[in-house]
Amino acid sequence: MATFLDVDLVKYLCSCGKKRPVCRLYLCRHCLKLRCGDCVLHEVRKLVDTPYCPNCLENMPSAEAKLKKNRCSNCFDCPSCSHTLATRATSQMVSNPEDPNKSTPKKMYYMACGFCRWTTRDVNIADKSVGKFYVSSNSSGGWEDLENPDAKRIFSLLEQYQQIAQKEKAEKERKKYVRRRSYMTYAASIDKYGLTSVAAKRKSLSTNVSNISLKENEEAVITQLKPAEPTGEFEPLPEDVFTQPLLLDKISTISQRHATPEFQPSETTSMYPVHKHLLIRRSLRCKECEHNLCKPEFNPISIKFKIQLVALLHIPEIRIFAPTDLVFKKETKVILTVCNPAAYNTTIELKKMDPESDDFSNSKAELPKKEIILSRRDDAAIYDDGSQGQEAFKDDHNIVPFRKANKIGVIVKVTPQVQKENVKISFILRHDHRNTTISLPSENQEPQIVWLEHKVFIDLGPVKQK
Amino acid sequence: MELQDEFYNNPEYIETASGNKVSRQSVLCGSQNIVINGKTIIMTDCVIRGDLANVRIGRHCVISKRAVIRPPFKKFSKGVAFFPLHIGDHVFVEEDSIVNAAQVGSFVHIGKNCVIGRRCVLKDCCAIADNTVLPPETVVPPFTVFSGSPGSFTSELPECTQDMMIDVTMNYYQHFKPIGKGKERHK
Repeated sequence: MATFLDVDLVKYLCSCGKKRPVCRLYLCRHCLKLRCGDCVLHEVRKLVDTPYCPNCLENMPSAEAKLKKNRCSNCFDCPSCSHTLATRATSQMVSNPEDPNKSTPKKMYYMACGFCRWTTRDVNIADKSVGKFYVSSNSSGGWEDLENPDAKRIFSLLEQYQQIAQKEKAEKERKKYVRRRSYMTYAASIDKYGLTSVAAKRKSLSTNVSNISLKENEEAVITQLKPAEPTGEFEPLPEDVFTQPLLLDKISTISQRHATPEFQPSETTSMYPVHKHLLIRRSLRCKECEHNLCKPEFNPISIKFKIQLVALLHIPEIRIFAPTDLVFKKETKVILTVCNPAAYNTTIELKKMDPESDDFSNSKAELPKKEIILSRRDDAAIYDDGSQGQEAFKDDHNIVPFRKANKIGVIVKVTPQVQKENVKISFILRHDHRNTTISLPSENQEPQIVWLEHKVFIDLGPVKQK
Repeated sequence: MELQDEFYNNPEYIETASGNKVSRQSVLCGSQNIVINGKTIIMTDCVIRGDLANVRIGRHCVISKRAVIRPPFKKFSKGVAFFPLHIGDHVFVEEDSIVNAAQVGSFVHIGKNCVIGRRCVLKDCCAIADNTVLPPETVVPPFTVFSGSPGSFTSELPECTQDMMIDVTMNYYQHFKPIGKGKERHK
């Protein structure tokens, strides 16, 4: 529970050189290295990622999400406080076209914010006759989007960019500069001009002809656009800015303006509902071997995973057992707990880190010299009192003060060398790991046992002041 | 850091056969409408409003001191109606929070001093930071953290949230220890 426990006290070194708490790390079982969220590959352009609306939880393919500018077409945010708007129904009296003297009640809908009480009526948006809000303006009664005044210019710029991309590509092919791009190149970098789908299609067909690549002797045509004109002068401020009192409640705030960058309303009366931003469920891949590290189910509500190689389920987790009184230059026993998440007994060893590569620790730590065996994880163990079967390990109580199911305590003697800062120690955790990837069930092999080493950094807290 | 032992005054709490620990100082209105599935801790000065609608709380939940759990209502043209409130397993509600949600999934962490507005839906594996106000009818998707007022998406939770929540709520129950002699045991 990353938000309840202080998980940042014990950090492991990721293979990319960053220190991360164990719950934020992944263990690739093919290259057996730790990976963190910053050094994995995201699969934005593939279908496995699911953008979804955080309000209606409707998911859509990433191509569709891109078309909709990563916004939900049905859900709106309040332009005033950014909370989701709710639909309210009212009945209005509408005069009957056949009989003008009679009027019939008709259901009309408007949107209201449950938090700041903003409604679409505040800005004189007429009530709509359909409860569901569709993005297309031709469906009668739906909420039309405001048209961006610069839409034309942006479109023509986009078009030109695509032409330039086309030309660049043609030149590249002419030079036979065919340095094969790894198919895992970070999606955003090649999706600069929206060509990813084209490139992917090309790849799958493995032909040289694609609708975007040009023939040998053909020149790409680039439409010349009128360059944007810089504005040198501004209109002077109108007189009433200086004479009229400023009504702060009529003026929109910076964050309200930034919520709609294309309009940036300066007055609260011109605010318009904002389409809700989508969130995304990502599947992650190892940067080196391109195997999946984490693959969630398609449904955004599901919390199950098809593939989940989080480090917490594969490597022993170290925690501080209890807050300890640390005194400057005095050796203190600090108890760490080590928990084995694997379904087999794991042997661990704590080793000193090379002092040259260690810029973290500022105190002396005496680590246990022997290897320690961690009992395997047993989900049924919570039903017994945890006292049986622990004698078999013959623990030295000066090293292992207690043992409970798959968790043990380990004593590390720490001598703080600092007075003002937090006491920090670091060591290498070496443990055996059964690699389950190679042994297929048909081969009936013993799983391969490998030894993994992780650098662990622990913040033990401040020295006790006298 | 591992969880530390937390001691409670034994005569103050009732322990049921299924392992629920409920404080005598808590207010359970309409207790016939409240179902607590087992090994759940309900601490001092909590209020659970079973008199409004059914309240179902799963296993291994922790409802901390002064938290209020009350079913949400919705206004209709003819008066109001209350909806049942379901809370999943391994849910941790911290002190002084008010939960007015329609549904709280499993493995959810609600911080201190939060207000969860009427008919909010908290899906599985999500977290609400301390001092958050979730306006009515907010949906919190899985693996997200909502914070602020009005509560909005701020960060993502790790994929192993489920395992961490199970670990925390089970450890919390183990570390929630009595001192003193208990009264009679309720069935």
